[in-house]
Amino acid sequence: MKLELRNIEKSFGDKRVLKGVSLTAEGGKAFGLLGRNGAGKTTTIRILMDVFGADSGEVLFDGEPIDYDRVSFGYLPEERGLYPKKKIMEQLTYFAELKGMSRADAVSAIDYWLERLGMTEYRDKRLDTLSKGNQQKIQLVTALAHDPDIVILDEPFSGLDPVNAMLLKDVVKETIKRGKIVLFSSHQMNYIEEFCDSIAIINGGQVVLSGDLNEIKRNYPRNRLVVRSPENQSIARELSDTCELSEDGELIITLSEPRQKPSVMHRLTASYDIDEIKVFEPSLNDIFVEYAESQI
Amino acid sequence: MKQFSKILKFELMGYMKNKVFVGVTIFLVAAIALVMFIPNIISLFGSDEGEAGDAIGELPVMLISSDTPELSELTRVYFQEAFLDYNVVVADGDIESVKDQVISGEAECAFVMTGPSSYTYYVNNLSMYDSNTAVADTVLQSVYRMNAMIEGGLTPEQAGAIMSVTIDSSVTTLGKNQMDNFLYTYIMIFALYMVILLYGQMVATNVATEKSSRAMELLITSAKPSSMMFGKVIASCLAGFIQLVLIFGSAILFYNINKEQLSNPLVASIFDIPIDLFIYMIVFFILGFLIYAFLFGAIGSTASKLEDINTSVMPVTYLFIIAFMVVMFSMSSGSVDNAAMIVCSYIPFSSPMAMFTRIAMSTVPWYEILISIIVLVGSVIGVGFLSARIYRVGVLLYGKPPKLPTLIKTVFKG
Repeated sequence: MKLELRNIEKSFGDKRVLKGVSLTAEGGKAFGLLGRNGAGKTTTIRILMDVFGADSGEVLFDGEPIDYDRVSFGYLPEERGLYPKKKIMEQLTYFAELKGMSRADAVSAIDYWLERLGMTEYRDKRLDTLSKGNQQKIQLVTALAHDPDIVILDEPFSGLDPVNAMLLKDVVKETIKRGKIVLFSSHQMNYIEEFCDSIAIINGGQVVLSGDLNEIKRNYPRNRLVVRSPENQSIARELSDTCELSEDGELIITLSEPRQKPSVMHRLTASYDIDEIKVFEPSLNDIFVEYAESQI
Repeated sequence: MKQFSKILKFELMGYMKNKVFVGVTIFLVAAIALVMFIPNIISLFGSDEGEAGDAIGELPVMLISSDTPELSELTRVYFQEAFLDYNVVVADGDIESVKDQVISGEAECAFVMTGPSSYTYYVNNLSMYDSNTAVADTVLQSVYRMNAMIEGGLTPEQAGAIMSVTIDSSVTTLGKNQMDNFLYTYIMIFALYMVILLYGQMVATNVATEKSSRAMELLITSAKPSSMMFGKVIASCLAGFIQLVLIFGSAILFYNINKEQLSNPLVASIFDIPIDLFIYMIVFFILGFLIYAFLFGAIGSTASKLEDINTSVMPVTYLFIIAFMVVMFSMSSGSVDNAAMIVCSYIPFSSPMAMFTRIAMSTVPWYEILISIIVLVGSVIGVGFLSARIYRVGVLLYGKPPKLPTLIKTVFKG
């Protein structure tokens, strides 16, 4: 399975919200859609799900224009909400039926997911009697119960306690393993880094960076070293003009040439008590800040 | 289509499980049952009370007073014949004591005769509907004329025959008798008015609630906006219809059970509606309901908070109230074919009430009815799809409800 967005343009009134967004997501992999607030992530997702059409550009599924009757979507919107006054089973079956499931299939799938998420006891409760985190787990069922081809999760971890976050991680990993396309949108970079093979950063309605996450990281100039040592201070004094002390006590040494790495490493390990020395790889957080800092 | 039926079912179940909806329906059915069974219940206990009390003694007292006992007695005899629901008594005392009796409530009213054709009427509080003086005038006029004829040489029998001549007449209605159909036209217009305003508000609130609870975020990606809109509106229409069928159905049932006790011709006329009029009633009712429910639904989708709804629905409510007023005034004036009504019977927002009223209370050529229905059906479909488009745009807009021109621009653009 392969999902492609090509040159999507969208304006609301005079405001150009998307200026030629293109991205590619593949089955069995998770794709991270990043961007600051108002960058155009939700608009992209809505166009992808055919809530409204794009002004121009196309959405392709396996190389052909997507057929929304055939390809099914599961969506966990960032703005959570179901029917607060209705019983959980009742509304979950309604949403599953809207997605085309038969009633019997819907009930058994929902029972499976409620069990899986440890929510079976709430089956016949009203939604508004549940805590926020539990309501979110119920909402997750609406995104997964009908076994969709493409799962879109917008900030899935916000509001979950660590145990529930772990549970959700397992569910997401399992979904990816089953060959589904998983689209992640989040500001919690550690989760994106954990799951996503490829990412796209949207800024001001344009994709400013996209591709395989590891490749992106590798393509960063590898001319920096990270050093952890009890003798940080002395090292910093020796290399005062090329190194800086990071917040968590690591020394970051910037070399003028990547080729100098082995010699510098040798020299440092020979003359100081070094706990750890490695080539600096930017975190996704660093990459994101670099590409999304200035609003285009 | 499949989605539509799922939405319809879900929304309809929502109404059926709504405690207020169920409660109000049960209450109304119970109230109708009570009213319908009351005559029966009373008649069960009625036989004991039959002999109790002197019938005349319980009637209100009307005093007659004049300078001469003969005039008083004569007037009393004539008045007793004319005022069957009064106990007419000759007062014994002067004007002041007569006034005191009226003020204290011992007597309800008093006629103080100052001559055979002049009097003063005393009453404590003059009711809007007090016709005693008019009756008294007629009686005194007749007496005066009789006396004049007798003095002029006619025998009392001849004078009596002249005075009591009756005119034979009959009315043949070639078109419609407004009196016959007035009542159910009135009931239908009122039912439509109530149902549209109540259910319209419910549809608007329903949509806005989904929006404010953000269930919309998920719904809009799960179902087509047109399925959502049509499902919701038709479900509310069905719910309203079921409620009315229950209420009027139980009324008809209870009426037939208690038919003998309820021998009031006015009540009977309600349950004696001609079948063609009944069919028109249902057609106009459903179409009228739908067109307004779509509008209310579209408005609901533009509000992001429930508090916004009341102000947002105002233009539609006013439109509807104006249509209602035109019809009501025309009905009570008796001229249901006036220019305003004719225009209104083709405008889809007023035709359900206006055309139905004209059909019921006047004679409308079939082609006019047909045109009106075709315009209405076309408008229902048009407004339905338009409202689905507004809905699609509206549900994703949060914040302040959009201004009408902005909304129109967005709807037609995308």
